[in-house]
Amino acid sequence: MDRPPAGDERFRLLVQGVLDYAIFMLDPAGHISSWNAGAKRIKGWSADEIIGQHFSVFYPPEDVAAGKPAWELEVAVAEGRLEDEGWRVRKDGTRFWANVVITALWDDNGELRGFAKVTRDMTERRNAEQALLERRRLVGHLVDAQERERRRIAWDVHDESIQSMVAVGMRLQLLAGRLRGDQGEVLGGLNDSVQTAVRRLRALVSRLRPPALDQQGLVEALTAYLDDVSEQWGLEYSLRHELPEEPSEEAAITLYRICQEALSNVHRHAGATRVDVRLSTVSKGMLMRISDDGVGTDTATGGAEDGGHFGLIEMRERAEAAHGWWSMTSEPGAGTTVEVWLPILPDLRDIEEEP
Amino acid sequence: MNSAVRVLIADDDLMIRQVLREVLDEEPDITVVAVAEDAEEAIRLAERDRPQVAVLDVRMPGGGGAHAARGILARSPETAILAFSAYADRAAMAGLRAVGVSEYLVKGVPNTVLVEAVRRLGRGPG
Repeated sequence: MDRPPAGDERFRLLVQGVLDYAIFMLDPAGHISSWNAGAKRIKGWSADEIIGQHFSVFYPPEDVAAGKPAWELEVAVAEGRLEDEGWRVRKDGTRFWANVVITALWDDNGELRGFAKVTRDMTERRNAEQALLERRRLVGHLVDAQERERRRIAWDVHDESIQSMVAVGMRLQLLAGRLRGDQGEVLGGLNDSVQTAVRRLRALVSRLRPPALDQQGLVEALTAYLDDVSEQWGLEYSLRHELPEEPSEEAAITLYRICQEALSNVHRHAGATRVDVRLSTVSKGMLMRISDDGVGTDTATGGAEDGGHFGLIEMRERAEAAHGWWSMTSEPGAGTTVEVWLPILPDLRDIEEEP
Repeated sequence: MNSAVRVLIADDDLMIRQVLREVLDEEPDITVVAVAEDAEEAIRLAERDRPQVAVLDVRMPGGGGAHAARGILARSPETAILAFSAYADRAAMAGLRAVGVSEYLVKGVPNTVLVEAVRRLGRGPG
């Protein structure tokens, strides 16, 4: 077996003993000339079985047919090294997803002596990445479907239920005016109930699909929402924004929903008197920061009780489904800050199709 | 008393159309002369009947309140337009004012407010 370049026994033992990487050498023509324990573990062949064979046995037939092994050596010679990720084949014919680095080795006279090849089995990581990607895509579709359904219900309630209630209220007023005494009062009371129901339905419509979001944009919609809840919950608020342009519809609804969820957490847990919302442009994206002056929590367990935790997961998943990130920082006594960043994209769908 | 204020109603919702007519006709000094279900019909009837006031829904088939208002004012410039909308929407309000709508009321206001607005528009600026 060839001596490793360092010629050092300890170094040889190190390379031989590494289990997580297949580390081996090829002669200038691509025949295997050394083998380590990691190579045996990842690829299945023992040193006796594999030394002397051409390294194309590691490649799937379609890559061999396309001349990929030879091409990789050519690139390594031309550029010094080559890195690749792709399918490779084990001794038993099964495939694994590999990260491969081939480095050309030259002697002092500038002559090619062979190649060092380091291969890592990335199958698990790739599977995990794919699962995560799949999950984000699924969450994205769910969120999209949920928003579409909410909007449809909002329109239906608005165009049908509220119209009918308004007509009923007008008729009750008409009748109340025609009747004398008690009966008129009863109808007047009924009309008050109908008006209350109309107001509640309008509030429902607004929660389901804030009309301002479609008609006037994100900042107006957030202002209307903050006006509304700050009065209800006795909170002071500020809203600062420096967005050069209106975000896409998907980004706007994502930011709006996360703000809604964060504010409802502030209301339920924080005991805050003031909340500051800030929208800015940071590293080709939009950053929304929501800070309160409440009691704060230990971030590690924050909001885990009484269903609050679900809200936190939902905020993060919504941000990630929109290709951004979400974070919450909090300390006991120092308030809580929620941050969400979304990239500014021409159309989120374009990115989703990329591998 | 002067002759009654002549009013056109346009709304795509049958219940609203019916009750609007009753509420306005209940007033001795107001009379509903035409009822339309959409913008195009409203424009046609306004041209025919020359009402003093048109009470228009904002969202209707055939172009909606803004389209109806423009069409009516082009053919019957003396008609005052009252938008009777399901939305309290500032942008829509501004848009309707821009095409010449005189008054904007959100559905759900007391009948008395609506009646007063019709009466005021019917009397005209003088």
